[in-house]
Amino acid sequence: MRTPFLFETVLFVSLASLAQPSALPQTGPEPKEIIDRVDRLLRGDSSHARVEMTVATRRWERNLALEIWSEGTDKALIRITQPKKEAGMTTLKVGEDIWNYLPKIDRIIRVPSSMMASAWMGSHFTNDDLVKESRLIRDYRIETSFDGGRDGRRIWEFTLTPFPDAPVVWGSILYEVAQDDLLPIRARYFGEDGRLRRTLTFHDVQQVGGRAIPTRMRLVPTEDPEEFTQMIYHDLQFDIPIPERTFSLSSLRR
Amino acid sequence: MILSLRLGWRNLWRNPRRSLISISAVASALLFLAILLGMTQGIGEQMLDNGTSLLSGHVQLHHPDYLPDRNLFDTLGGRTGIEPGLLDALQARPEVRQATPRVYGFALLSTGEHSAGAQLISVQPDREAEVSRLLQCVQIGRRPGETSPGGIWLGKGLAREIQATLGSEIAAVTQAADGSLGNELFRVEGILRTGLSPLDNSVALLEIPDLQLLLALPPQRVHEIVIRLQDVFAAGAFAGQLNAGSRLPEGVRAQSWEEFSPQLRDYLQIMDSAYGILIGFVALFAALGILNTMLMAVFERTREIGTVGALGMPPASIIASILIESLFLALLGVGLGLALTGLVMPPLETHGLDLSRWTGEISVVDTYIDPVLRFRLVPRHLIWSAVGLVLATLVAALLPALRASRLDPAKALTTPQQV
Repeated sequence: MRTPFLFETVLFVSLASLAQPSALPQTGPEPKEIIDRVDRLLRGDSSHARVEMTVATRRWERNLALEIWSEGTDKALIRITQPKKEAGMTTLKVGEDIWNYLPKIDRIIRVPSSMMASAWMGSHFTNDDLVKESRLIRDYRIETSFDGGRDGRRIWEFTLTPFPDAPVVWGSILYEVAQDDLLPIRARYFGEDGRLRRTLTFHDVQQVGGRAIPTRMRLVPTEDPEEFTQMIYHDLQFDIPIPERTFSLSSLRR
Repeated sequence: MILSLRLGWRNLWRNPRRSLISISAVASALLFLAILLGMTQGIGEQMLDNGTSLLSGHVQLHHPDYLPDRNLFDTLGGRTGIEPGLLDALQARPEVRQATPRVYGFALLSTGEHSAGAQLISVQPDREAEVSRLLQCVQIGRRPGETSPGGIWLGKGLAREIQATLGSEIAAVTQAADGSLGNELFRVEGILRTGLSPLDNSVALLEIPDLQLLLALPPQRVHEIVIRLQDVFAAGAFAGQLNAGSRLPEGVRAQSWEEFSPQLRDYLQIMDSAYGILIGFVALFAALGILNTMLMAVFERTREIGTVGALGMPPASIIASILIESLFLALLGVGLGLALTGLVMPPLETHGLDLSRWTGEISVVDTYIDPVLRFRLVPRHLIWSAVGLVLATLVAALLPALRASRLDPAKALTTPQQV
């Protein structure tokens, strides 16, 4: 399983809300409980964000402006607003399904399972990353593998190991969360052979939408450390009402 | 030696009927080999022609990294692409019949309701028509080059899978070279049937500018140049020549069909070994006939051989005279065989043997097989056959010759003369 950037968005947003003193676990972390609480907290939550995505590869460098709506862990709509050439391209995710709307040819194309492993809009995230965001708890056993100081901060490191029959691509995920603000610091994804495949890091904690959250995320593939996909959140609103029809095929075409 | 030669020649005609029978045995063995080898080689070369003319051609040029992954970015000459002049320069060479560029890609093709991943091949129709049979595989609709831009030709199975028919509008979506999600609409202009179902189930054909537009590749960036030569067997040498020296621009490498279709090369090599065995057997049978003839000859001439022995002819000369006699047999046989081959083979090579009268249309595992057998006699194979027959004859004559040389003149002279 690949943890998707939407998952990250929602995860750190939710962790941020955990950071209120009343929500803090009194005794040491109960890892599954934390993630589970995150998951439950996400249900019914909604968000709206403007995001700047930068993709640097050996082949291309891309700057996209995105507008993202999400509801719970199941529904998301992502629209490209810049550059002009790609503006209007929209991805709708409902449950396990993804559709892309392509304004140039005015067509809605459902992404078939054979292309779920392909890159999403030329980034280092895959289509799969979009749909599997709500499945961490279902697919992984979560344990605390480290509790203490690292790089000058007190952190927890959770080890996520997939259940034997889980349909995931990762061998394990190491997730680091800061103990003081309960915000994610870094997630490392390992292949089934135990080799590190990619690293997601969280930066620039700022007050956005009334909460302190990391506003920049950077994903680096291990085999090509020069490459990266970076997302910067400029504008983020939580728990706003989003019309149900936003997450429908008809709204893709807007 | 002169004496042995004269003796051998004269002895040959002591029993002309028997010698003529032996000569015709050798001759028909050679003719048989020529026809059989010519037929098998003809079938092999027809397979080679079918194999290379459908798609692959005789020589292909790629970026050194392009195969086997067929990465979108590994175009000929790298990022900058190639000069259009390269194609004309290749075509200007006398060995080359035609050279044609191709661009490949992968895309999701969708009719709206149904979609499927497809291997995209794009061609330049006027050149492609002289390199491969691909355009002839368009069975329904017009061919590439006969339509306006924006056409797509779907493999039969692929068309069925996404339920597309002539005139259907197809959305193609792919990861383009600039990182964007490439998307274009195409119009189904025809249905392609190559006879190879893996291809028919997955391939879509386009014209190069259309695919370059979808993939965001500039015009000078293509993945492949396919060359059809005058002679398919010159491919290895031609590719070697191109690679040697600085005939090709940076980031371009030539491969012959022997490299990209190793199974065809292996098949033809196995055939060559099989020919060796075949020649060996036929030569063995011919040699048994010669052995019989020469044993008879020596037996008949026991008294005479005793006489020349008694007169002081050294055993080596006796051996030589008998070997020379059988050498004459073999050479005359091979000569006659070559003459017959020269009469029989040319029409078989130019017109072939039409089997359709007996077989009708033949197709094996969905692949059309030409019912006209085209024979092809490779000089190499004819030489092997002739040399094999001559050697076998000499070996066969060795036993009677040794026997003759060991005759005790006293005993031989008392043996009654045989007629």
